[in-house]
Amino acid sequence: MAETFPINIWINEERFKALQEAGLGGLLKEELAGMKVLIVPCNEAQRDKVLKLFPMAKYDAATTKSIELLPKYVKDKLYEMAVKRKTLNMMDEFVAGFAKAGDAFWNQDIA
Amino acid sequence: MELIGHGGKPLVERVITDKAEAKNKIKGLKAIPASRQMATESIGIALGFFSPLQGFMKRADVDAVVQKMELADGTLWSIPIVYDISDKEIHDYGIKAGMSVLLTRNGNPMAIFEIEEIFTYPKEEIAFKVYGTKEEKHPGVARTYAYKDKFLGGKITLVQSPKVREPYTPYFLTPRQHREKFKNLHWQRIVAHQTRNVPHSGHEWLMKHAFIAAHGELPVESMEVMGKAISGVLVNCIVGEKRAGDYIDEAIVLSQDGLKKYGYFREDIHMTTMTFWDMRYAGPKEAVHHSIIRANLGLTHHMFGRDHAGVGTYYDSYEAHRLLMSIPKEKLFITPIFVLEWAYCPHCGEVTCIGLCGHWNELQKFSGTKIRSILMDEVKPTRMIFRPEVFDIVMDAAKKYGFGSPFVTPEYLAEAAPAFSFEPL
Repeated sequence: MAETFPINIWINEERFKALQEAGLGGLLKEELAGMKVLIVPCNEAQRDKVLKLFPMAKYDAATTKSIELLPKYVKDKLYEMAVKRKTLNMMDEFVAGFAKAGDAFWNQDIA
Repeated sequence: MELIGHGGKPLVERVITDKAEAKNKIKGLKAIPASRQMATESIGIALGFFSPLQGFMKRADVDAVVQKMELADGTLWSIPIVYDISDKEIHDYGIKAGMSVLLTRNGNPMAIFEIEEIFTYPKEEIAFKVYGTKEEKHPGVARTYAYKDKFLGGKITLVQSPKVREPYTPYFLTPRQHREKFKNLHWQRIVAHQTRNVPHSGHEWLMKHAFIAAHGELPVESMEVMGKAISGVLVNCIVGEKRAGDYIDEAIVLSQDGLKKYGYFREDIHMTTMTFWDMRYAGPKEAVHHSIIRANLGLTHHMFGRDHAGVGTYYDSYEAHRLLMSIPKEKLFITPIFVLEWAYCPHCGEVTCIGLCGHWNELQKFSGTKIRSILMDEVKPTRMIFRPEVFDIVMDAAKKYGFGSPFVTPEYLAEAAPAFSFEPL
């Protein structure tokens, strides 16, 4: 299986309900004493694009093996897209959306 | 009363508290602006955090520290404390050995510097011997390479006490003040928790582990009554230069104190204070330096966990423990407490020591990165891993001091007020 470079989106109760309604509740994992996390997979190319588009982010190869330090607004948009699309395979669309619209992307509704 | 600090030497206190005397003593002295780091270390020297140092190191001390991890007189010391200066500044200010100058900070008088020696020392030698590498990507090495052309050695005397801003004011105590507090609390044993983090439950249990280990064979009976504790935990936060992505110092100090404020530690066994110091990330050598500072604060024990003050993969997880174990007791002046990691065990349903729990494959370790990720997402963690009140404190500090973030941002770096300042005399 190809290696993935995930983004962890931590989920509160309100979002947990929304994800359940979107049929994505089963995709959540539990970590750290019951914390719920939505793990958005990225392939290597998507990881590199994310790190290029968001220079503050880092891939933590040592401990979590995930893309970390993405700002909240970025993860909020990822979450919103996952719920709308009812899938976690939306990184290409996400990256393309931001690359095209720039910061205006954050205020755009996901159709 | 004379107090004894590291090395069994008198605690250094070199501060002129009388304004008229200070004004008189600085008359005619050439004023030289000090960098933030040099100001930070002047405070460390003059208030006694770095006892027995009375000033910035001269060459003999630097050489002994670098080559033998001790001062020229044989006292244990692991990191050079040097005042760097450029050739141009030496020329422009007419600096010569034997003269005294007035160090200023932001235009205000800070300290009298009795310059006894102007010298050079190979920076690569410092880097390799202190940090174990010459790679510039090591932040301590980068700091060493960034030192200017020459070093000035000589005694430092503050001409006024630093003014520490809110919210730090109640948390900044001199070594003498620390000792007075401990005396008032009747603490016989005090264990240090070194930190630059906001506390998750793993940290909390490390402190509890260290407290129990430090209390050791002392009686427990009196502790059945609140206010009668005879041992304590001192959380001594390192406040200094920040990098983007670090926790803001305000969140660290206030959240650590929150553990006591909200009862996770009894008020008679827990205290939070701070020390000004720029982390060198020197791993084992930094662990020794921390033990020196905390001995000067009057502590009897110091907790050391895995990867103490390390960075990247430069040091083994327990290298600091091994170095501390190799130092003779009579040279260290504080007793190290070595602690293992604590983790959440879903089988036990509790936070437990990895050295005790048998559900080895089920343990969920506290990852600093994961905790940061949770806080960045502004999701309130479960109370088992992060106390809800502590989370609220961190988020309040983000709003009040961090421009909306609990982490250091470019905006924070540019606009946050310095933690200390000096006033016009």
